[in-house]
Amino acid sequence: MIIPMARVRVLGPRDRFDDALQAVQDFGQLQLAEARSRAGVQSAHLDPRAERRRAQLMRALDETDEALRALAVAGTGPAQRNATVQDFARWARLANHTAREARALRSRETALDEERALVTRYRDFLSAVLPAVRRVADTPRLTSHAVVVPESGRATVDTLAKALRDQLGAEFSMTTRELAGGDLAILLVLPREFSAKLDARLAEARVPEVPLPAAYRDMPLEQAVPRMLARLVDIPAEVEACRAERREMARARGPELRAARAAIEDWLAAASAHEHTAVTPHAFAIEGWLPERSVPGLTRRISAAVGPTVVVETVAREDWGAQDAPVVLSNPRLFRPFEAVIGLLPLPRYGTIDPTPFVAVFFPLMFGMMLGDAGYGVLLAGLALLVHARARPGSLLQTAARIAGPCAAFTIIFGVLYGEYFGDLGLRLFGLHPIIFDRERAVFAALAAAVGLGVVHVVLGLVLGAITSYRKEPKHALGSGVSALMVLLVVAALLAAFEVLPSRLFTPAVVVLLIAFPVLVFAEGLIAPVELLATLGNVLSYARIMAIGTASVMLAVVANQMAGAVGSTVVGLVFALLFHLVNFAIGVFSPAIHAFRLHYVEFFGKFYSPGGQPYTPFGHRFAPPAPETSRTSS
Amino acid sequence: MNMMWIVLSAAGVMSVAALATAWAQSKIGSAGAAALAEKPELAGTIIVLVAIPETMVILGFIVAVLILLRAGGGA
Repeated sequence: MIIPMARVRVLGPRDRFDDALQAVQDFGQLQLAEARSRAGVQSAHLDPRAERRRAQLMRALDETDEALRALAVAGTGPAQRNATVQDFARWARLANHTAREARALRSRETALDEERALVTRYRDFLSAVLPAVRRVADTPRLTSHAVVVPESGRATVDTLAKALRDQLGAEFSMTTRELAGGDLAILLVLPREFSAKLDARLAEARVPEVPLPAAYRDMPLEQAVPRMLARLVDIPAEVEACRAERREMARARGPELRAARAAIEDWLAAASAHEHTAVTPHAFAIEGWLPERSVPGLTRRISAAVGPTVVVETVAREDWGAQDAPVVLSNPRLFRPFEAVIGLLPLPRYGTIDPTPFVAVFFPLMFGMMLGDAGYGVLLAGLALLVHARARPGSLLQTAARIAGPCAAFTIIFGVLYGEYFGDLGLRLFGLHPIIFDRERAVFAALAAAVGLGVVHVVLGLVLGAITSYRKEPKHALGSGVSALMVLLVVAALLAAFEVLPSRLFTPAVVVLLIAFPVLVFAEGLIAPVELLATLGNVLSYARIMAIGTASVMLAVVANQMAGAVGSTVVGLVFALLFHLVNFAIGVFSPAIHAFRLHYVEFFGKFYSPGGQPYTPFGHRFAPPAPETSRTSS
Repeated sequence: MNMMWIVLSAAGVMSVAALATAWAQSKIGSAGAAALAEKPELAGTIIVLVAIPETMVILGFIVAVLILLRAGGGA
């Protein structure tokens, strides 16, 4: 449900403003509303000194965030209460030099990683040409050059070789080796006096060259090669040293930086709260929203912290609009995971209906009707338990596991009703027969059950729509109610026509339909007949429950047949197991998506009013930024 | 001969519905992925939009089953 909210006004003498604001922040449940502008009333702006401090603390916050990210420090830490100016100054300095040092360490790690990647790229080539390079170094007239040509420029190498051979004759030699990734490494041996002209020749032959690492570029190759190979041994230790230094820095400074961040955030939140507060020369007024049940708590807190001169008054319901009130969903523990399903859509407006309880009932029911296999249900329950035990508390994965629990329960229930235990395995091995109908054969019964559920769900949606709008839009509420009635009448007439219901009901149903039709047009306008047809289409859309269920059971039966279809029993069993596994994966994913869709489109479309404001109370903030994920982070 | 036409009709219904759904989902899916990259909060709406054309293939499946069962003499 959407819990009732109250709009309250905290009033008091101006000299108690800071204490009152502190008490409100400590209470942590009041979402501040904009100060109302009236003659003689203005927003409580910060004084110039506080504005300067705000600018400094915002910079400090950025640097703290950067430092925490660079140090990969996560988690939460409580803010230090009553932080002094000296504390803020110390934290700003700490954040500044930690960010600088962490930045330098990261740059060093990045440079080392790049150097390692580059030298690794050349390693095979360098190892292979090292003897040749040393031989050339012993011949004073000759010199050697290493060139790496990207894959795209390989065609130009032959042109270069031909041109150099023509010009230099026997004194020129070339060794090539393909590097990982397709690049070509070339060792050119040529007369020392020609060395200076090599760059020009490379340019003339349009050889695109990948340069050697900068540190070795101006070094003779016979010195550069051993040094580069030696670096490969040294670099990992240097990277590890950087990481160890960063870890040590995180251990030593992380807790204080987290506390500093929380305290700075607190101060900044309090500073921005000033702008929401109305003041006169002698009084102040803080307005905001909080859950109705928390009003006495706020009153007590203010009274205890500031004294009787500051009062809390509740603004009358007539003086505020539902569109301004923030929305807080509150549901029993069993239903709460299903708030995540609603969370994929914008919040419902205040004063409308929270669909969570309905989703919590119908979502697992539809899922169970679709998958409907006791064996798969047990598997899903096991998987849900495993994920729930392993997932981080409060994470999306844990929420998904909590949703999967009821879905698994309904899957087992429907599995028993359909007589499905890994398809027809229960029947084959233990003679377990269906209790209601066999989905493999009774397609029409499954279709009727699916559409029947659709009638219930869509009519419920229409009724909820009528309840939601009966106060503000009575005509629309009437239209929703009449639509719900007409859907039921159409179904009754059809059932009577096919003699599922007594055929004598047909005429009265049609007569009532004819009477209801003009009422519907009166309530909803000329578009109403089209909308009624769309609503009937919505009901038919629930046929997917039968379609997906039939597909699932057929696949399970095929999987079981595989065990006997292949010559070897073992191979057949392996195939059957694999097929069941695939069917289980599809069977979990597909019903979930379709149950979502049936809720979002067919059900919510009848009553859901999005556009609610999220509830963001003014309080103490503890959450630091998420750490950077980086290849080099430890 | 009759049976062949029944089976072909069912297959035809299923194929056309599946192709139509696939075409619609490819258009919606690519546009949805682009929208998600910019506005991840639209995930719910995009799931719905992608799932909407599936009605066609599901109704196609049901019609195919009805053809097979009614005309083919099944249950």
